[in-house]
Amino acid sequence: SSFKDDFSTSPHLFTPMSPYDVELPIQTAEDGVFASQLSQSKELHTDFSSVDLSFLPDITQDNKEQNLSEDGHGTQKELDGSLPSNEDSGVSTDESSLSHPGTAQPSPEAPDDCPPLTPMTPVTPPTSAESSGIVPQLQNIVSTVNLACKLDLKNIALHARNAEYNPKRFAAVIMRIREPRTTALIFSSGKMVCTGAKSEEQSRLAARKYARVVQKLGFPAKFLDFKIQNMVGSCDVRFPIRLEGLVLTHQQFSSYEPELFPGLVYRMVKPRIVLLIFVSGKVVLTGAKDRSEIYEAFENIYPILRGFRKPS
Amino acid sequence: MAAPRCPECGSASLVEDAHYAQQQLVCASCGCVLAEGLLTTTYTDEEHLREVAYSQSTGQKEQLSRCLQRGIRRVQDLCKVLQLPAAFEDTAVSYFQRALQLPAFHLCSLEKKEVLGGCCVLVTCREHNWPLSMGTVCSLLYARQELFASVFLSLQKELQLSVPALSLADLVTTHLSSFRLLQPSANIPAAFLEDRERLLGRTLGLVELSRQAWLVTGRHPLPVLTAAAFLAWQSLRPGPRLCCPLRRFCRLAGVELPPPAHLRLRELLEVLLAMASQLSWLRGFKLDKKTVVKHVGDLLQHRVFLLRKAFRELDGDEQDTAPGQGSPGQDPGCPSSLGTQAQGCPPAGKRPGGPLRLLLPPCLLHPRKRLRAPAPSAVALTGDEPISDSEIEQYLRGPEELQAFRKAKGWL
Repeated sequence: SSFKDDFSTSPHLFTPMSPYDVELPIQTAEDGVFASQLSQSKELHTDFSSVDLSFLPDITQDNKEQNLSEDGHGTQKELDGSLPSNEDSGVSTDESSLSHPGTAQPSPEAPDDCPPLTPMTPVTPPTSAESSGIVPQLQNIVSTVNLACKLDLKNIALHARNAEYNPKRFAAVIMRIREPRTTALIFSSGKMVCTGAKSEEQSRLAARKYARVVQKLGFPAKFLDFKIQNMVGSCDVRFPIRLEGLVLTHQQFSSYEPELFPGLVYRMVKPRIVLLIFVSGKVVLTGAKDRSEIYEAFENIYPILRGFRKPS
Repeated sequence: MAAPRCPECGSASLVEDAHYAQQQLVCASCGCVLAEGLLTTTYTDEEHLREVAYSQSTGQKEQLSRCLQRGIRRVQDLCKVLQLPAAFEDTAVSYFQRALQLPAFHLCSLEKKEVLGGCCVLVTCREHNWPLSMGTVCSLLYARQELFASVFLSLQKELQLSVPALSLADLVTTHLSSFRLLQPSANIPAAFLEDRERLLGRTLGLVELSRQAWLVTGRHPLPVLTAAAFLAWQSLRPGPRLCCPLRRFCRLAGVELPPPAHLRLRELLEVLLAMASQLSWLRGFKLDKKTVVKHVGDLLQHRVFLLRKAFRELDGDEQDTAPGQGSPGQDPGCPSSLGTQAQGCPPAGKRPGGPLRLLLPPCLLHPRKRLRAPAPSAVALTGDEPISDSEIEQYLRGPEELQAFRKAKGWL
């Protein structure tokens, strides 16, 4: 199919199947689709066989169960079953690691048509040998769009089932739709804010649906200047972090006040992302305008956090 | 003070006279000028050896706005109440003046300005490693915690300060000095009195143990401190003190009991119990939360070794999985019986006391959130999918519904 042509000219070490990876759930790669796609890409890029995949943990179903009994963190493993707790061990370069790759690669859905969104720099979750192997998951996207017409909010609140309007509290209609599960703030100037989507495409689709609702209510709504304003991602590094140590070594970027907030606020300069780092190893990344910033920020922070893995 | 005499003629008749606007001390008989009132406001001030401040005599204060003057006075009062060194006062006042000029704080409410003064004092103390907790400042200013938090963070951002973290060990020292159990008093039984140095030493040991066992990171410092101080106090003389609960201890000591202190106490006792199960001479006893207190001294002494034995690390180099190797870096102070025991350590399942638990923060050991599996997205969205009319119409009210709704709204 046509998408493969786009990537044959630029031989990356590993390229995603689509420039915008839609969903990157942290799942075990048990789907056959995954393995077949991988073998397809082997044919495409001749240098793929020389890629060192030894960093990938050896993920099998047995491995997952073994880890469950080992530390009894059943709930944790259900979610992130792909990464065993002892990820330093169990690294193998045999065929089994290729057929059951770790979470480093995105699970490519089958995009048969060219993605309409203009691809910017190829958004590759980094898969170099030193990468973390963990991909942050997007949790929330905030976007804005201009409907370019004045709106009668009272009218909208009257005619729409899914709208709430309380002018004394807030000067906008709060509208919700079920699929994609999102919330929109619609202002009388015609500007709209859409929140709650888990991907850029979902946010755009949701915004279009809200615009369509407003259209059906009789307003000449357009769909101008759709822009992603903020993206929030989260992930888990799977080990506890000494926050008091981190704030000492990275004082100029970190703010850790246990009396105020249990997490450490790390303001990364490049890319300009704010990370909330918690003692449990969970990391929240926010302030991104593009998904690549979240990945980049996490790849920057991961080696720093690894440095605090050993207790003092 | 003896009556001054004119140096020239020796006369005692001196008058204070003003030459134009300048005060002068002149001899009435010969007209010699003894003193000119340049550096002091009045001769009487100087006569009584009272220092006249530069700010008073030079009208420096009049240059500052009344709001700023009041704020500076509050900051100075706060420093005096907290008995801070004199240098801190100047630093805090300079921070306050700088902050008040910024647009973010210039026009804020009076309440916020007062809190800003407290924040400046806190920042100064942090920079000099003087342990002062936010709770203390808030209670002194009768300020709301949320307001204090927001002002502190915005002050940090506006002045671009990197405020050093609160040093827990120093906080222990200052917090303990406010305990009333250290001096004899009417309502404190003799058995409850404790020596300050001993209590301090043991509390510091327990706080360090809590820190290593992940009980401190991400939590309020004072509840941990209180729980550690209570355990330390109990363990120094368990006999009469074991029956005294935490609440009574805080009441006698004259300190507030923060609500999470009970939880911290429970967590700390769990850690101690796990450690005690690895101490060979305690294996025979079946310890519980009360009786383990008696052995806190021993447990603290062999803390490093016991932590390693009693808990598994998250990494692969777990000692219980490699019975062949001896435990590296043993605490040299521990008796030889412990050493042989360690070398022949059995795997996890057969270890006395059950399987080892991991040395992890409590939030990881007892996860409260039911972790949701990530919603799998079946189809790759492009964002430009066609939107069916029926889907949109489900969100719009039909005419009958509209009538009913209008009627209902009329009733409201």
